[in-house]
Amino acid sequence: MAHSPDWPVVSQTVLQRERWPGYLRGYRQVTSLVRPGQEVLPDQPIIRLERETMAGPTRAAPVTLPAGLRGRVVDVTHRGGVVIESYGALLQGALGAGRQVAGVLTIWQEPARASSPPVIPPGALLVVPGPLNFSLLRQAQRSGVAGIIASSIALSDLEGFLRTDFIQLLETPDVELAQSRLPDLTLLLTEGLGTITMPTAGSNFLNRYRGSIALLSGITSQRYHIVPELIISFPAQQQRDPSQILPSDLMLTLGAQVRVCAGEYIGFIGLIDYFFVYEQVFPSGIHARALRIRREDGSFIKVPVTHVKRIG
Amino acid sequence: MYTQPYPEGGQGQAQASSSAAANSLLVADCGAVFTKVSLFGLVEGQYRLLARGEAPTTLTPPNEDLTVGIIQAITIIEFITGRRFVSDKRVLTPEQDSGDGVDVFIATVSAGGPLRLVVLGGVSATLENLVSQAISGLYAEAQFLPAPAFSAASSGASPAPVAAGGRPSSPGQGAPWTPERIAMEWDRQLGRVRELNPHVSLIVGMADAPGGPNSLQEACQLLVKATRNRNERQGAGASAGIPPQDNVARQIPVLYAGAPQYVEAVKRMVQGVSEVTRVDSLTSPAQVGAISIAAGTMHDRHVLRKLPGYNQLQSWSATAPIATATSLSSLVRFLAQHYTMNVTALDVGGATTTVMQAGEQGDFIPMVNVGLGVGPGAGAILQRVGWQRIARWLPFAIREEEIRQFVANMLLHPYEVPSASRELQLSHAFAREAIILTTEAAKKNSGKWSEADLILATGGVLAHAPKYGQVAMMLLDALQPRGVTSLVLDKTMLISQLGAVAAVAPITAVQVNENDAVTHRLGTCVIPYGELQPGQLAVRVGVEYSNGRQQTVDVMAGSVEVIPLRLNEQALLTLFPAPTVDVGLGAGERARAAEEIDGGLVGLIIDARGRPLVLPTDQAERQARLLQWSQALGA
Repeated sequence: MAHSPDWPVVSQTVLQRERWPGYLRGYRQVTSLVRPGQEVLPDQPIIRLERETMAGPTRAAPVTLPAGLRGRVVDVTHRGGVVIESYGALLQGALGAGRQVAGVLTIWQEPARASSPPVIPPGALLVVPGPLNFSLLRQAQRSGVAGIIASSIALSDLEGFLRTDFIQLLETPDVELAQSRLPDLTLLLTEGLGTITMPTAGSNFLNRYRGSIALLSGITSQRYHIVPELIISFPAQQQRDPSQILPSDLMLTLGAQVRVCAGEYIGFIGLIDYFFVYEQVFPSGIHARALRIRREDGSFIKVPVTHVKRIG
Repeated sequence: MYTQPYPEGGQGQAQASSSAAANSLLVADCGAVFTKVSLFGLVEGQYRLLARGEAPTTLTPPNEDLTVGIIQAITIIEFITGRRFVSDKRVLTPEQDSGDGVDVFIATVSAGGPLRLVVLGGVSATLENLVSQAISGLYAEAQFLPAPAFSAASSGASPAPVAAGGRPSSPGQGAPWTPERIAMEWDRQLGRVRELNPHVSLIVGMADAPGGPNSLQEACQLLVKATRNRNERQGAGASAGIPPQDNVARQIPVLYAGAPQYVEAVKRMVQGVSEVTRVDSLTSPAQVGAISIAAGTMHDRHVLRKLPGYNQLQSWSATAPIATATSLSSLVRFLAQHYTMNVTALDVGGATTTVMQAGEQGDFIPMVNVGLGVGPGAGAILQRVGWQRIARWLPFAIREEEIRQFVANMLLHPYEVPSASRELQLSHAFAREAIILTTEAAKKNSGKWSEADLILATGGVLAHAPKYGQVAMMLLDALQPRGVTSLVLDKTMLISQLGAVAAVAPITAVQVNENDAVTHRLGTCVIPYGELQPGQLAVRVGVEYSNGRQQTVDVMAGSVEVIPLRLNEQALLTLFPAPTVDVGLGAGERARAAEEIDGGLVGLIIDARGRPLVLPTDQAERQARLLQWSQALGA
């Protein structure tokens, strides 16, 4: 038995998040449209943004931000952000980029499979179950998609799209300022770098909530231990039952479904078949605590305990 | 000299009497990536390491509690020993008749990041150097923002609107100090303070320094403005889910080390915004110790105590957790005095690399390089040295993208074990550069560096290296010692904890150190230097083994040789260097050891590659050489 260091999916949780647009160029004046104690809906405008010049607010039409979450306003911060407590599901990614955005979860259909050319709705949060690439990112950006949730991406494609050094981005001290310099498309990659497909559990989770309004943050910071996240509030009729809110099970136990998140077997999925009592030797010669995974095709692999993440 | 043994909260000697009769001790070291726990106990009247466990450090979500990782590591020890040490999420103390529980629990911590210190006021280059020395043995990083009045005045001009000066980092360098430039500098510094998000500020500058009291006044004004800005932004982390411990307090406390006559004025200026703690005015190396103690206390208060789970951790023991670097410095100084030799210790961690040198005369040079390591700290190394300097240590061709991908993965998955050979070699290449950068910083900071009689190495990348030859190679490549030295590997990763143990149970610390921590002796190394001619004889080595057998080995310049001399074997050594080559007594001077030298797990190593070590520029030749040297050391 061991513990997985990660926490990818929480099916039910109560959480608080500040709804905040980040540093948007040209928009200075932030006004909260709600007050603490008020109940809000995911599509309800809760923040108004006004353009501001050196001379003061302009006459340009203000922009409003939807809550993205269903819940209760618990605070309005100094800067005008709205803190909402919500009951819902949470998906955490391995990496991401981009500010917090809200939108409708929409599943991407590959052109070959779709009956007609795919239409990417502007403002959507697009779910791409497979790996991303540079051209798909550009296409999504041109279509006005607010965010993308995908499995993985090559580092060169990611850096090419973001036009930034991703390693520096992970370590930057001013996280929000750094996001404001990125393209207007928020990304969440569930598996990380490379060409790894999304595990069935992950794509099933996203399919279950297609059409829902969700809140996506791509901010990833090694410095502040922030991971990207997607939050989907439950509908009002789904009453909160505290007894049903169970902590995510992090324990790696016999029979648990796991995904390998590092090393030569990265992306492999299977069930824990055996925990080695003693440290095992790996091809590099290094010794580490290890477990054996039985894959769906019946084959076995031996991996260090710290390389696996529980997914089921 | 520059570190305070036990800052505020540490118990030090107070515990010694109560713990004198401890039968068993659990010692936890919470690193940035992994938490290591060791169990010490009595075996035939001697304190020994009985078992150790390792688990990921749990500072981040979802656990956000330091003690969770410690308990996970203890669970491994429980499995190994069959004893129980934890009950109801608490360490059982004292040891019970059944063997469950322990008498003493001690923790050292290097997780949690550095103390971020911003130095304001009349910050001259001399004061910068003194502050750097003061914090060199701590988990702390300083950024220097000299007041515009100081910059203007020290450039030889009167304050605004006047001419010239400024630091290279200032905007409009060389431009006159007009009101516009001062306003620009003011904005830049506000931006820097916002970006740095400091835990503490240190105000320095004397009345008779350039800028005089104006520098101090500007420092206070900057602090007041920056604090107000920060409070307006309070909650900025919430949208991104920044953990509360990283959202620093609404105040930026002030350590005041400026002109004594202005301390009350400074207090008035920052009243309601910052709490001022006065320390000795920083003017010379004599005050470095006081600044170091004050900064250590601030680290304890603003970093360690804010760690999630800290209170629970402290409740397990009467001894407050202390910084791992503080613990290590105690041990290194003890070893130097105990063995009357120059000791260089290095600890290469995931997010911090530490190099410390202690001399038999009591001199001590610490350098804690925060943010630089082979885990999450690999990004900083890549940024500092560039990918080619990493690639130069690899015996295979590699592209920049692969190195960047490796680093990104280390940042995203810090718990990754280099299970493939290529990954292992990459991680060893990063370890070399981490040691090089840290040693360079130590030399620059202290202005002096002695050749070590003993090199003591620890940290995950070294302790977990599959072969001892790999560790020896990394140490020789990165530290580039000269003359004759000994290499010891702390494979149990205990030395960083033994300083803390010594404060509570000194006998335990000494016995565990000798019985278990410094037992992996890699061997004695002879490193000839001077003018080594490639392909020519560098040194002839005469070895006279204890059993009377004799052997003579000619070592050619550019090569590394290992002469068999196993652990627990001794031999007398005679060195006949080439006329232009030095082995520590002068060029061409023959050396004969007065005492037998000890063998080791690698053997007697003769590194005749020259100093400084220059790698061939041709890629194929370089790779061939790296392979050849590795094979010679059995790496």
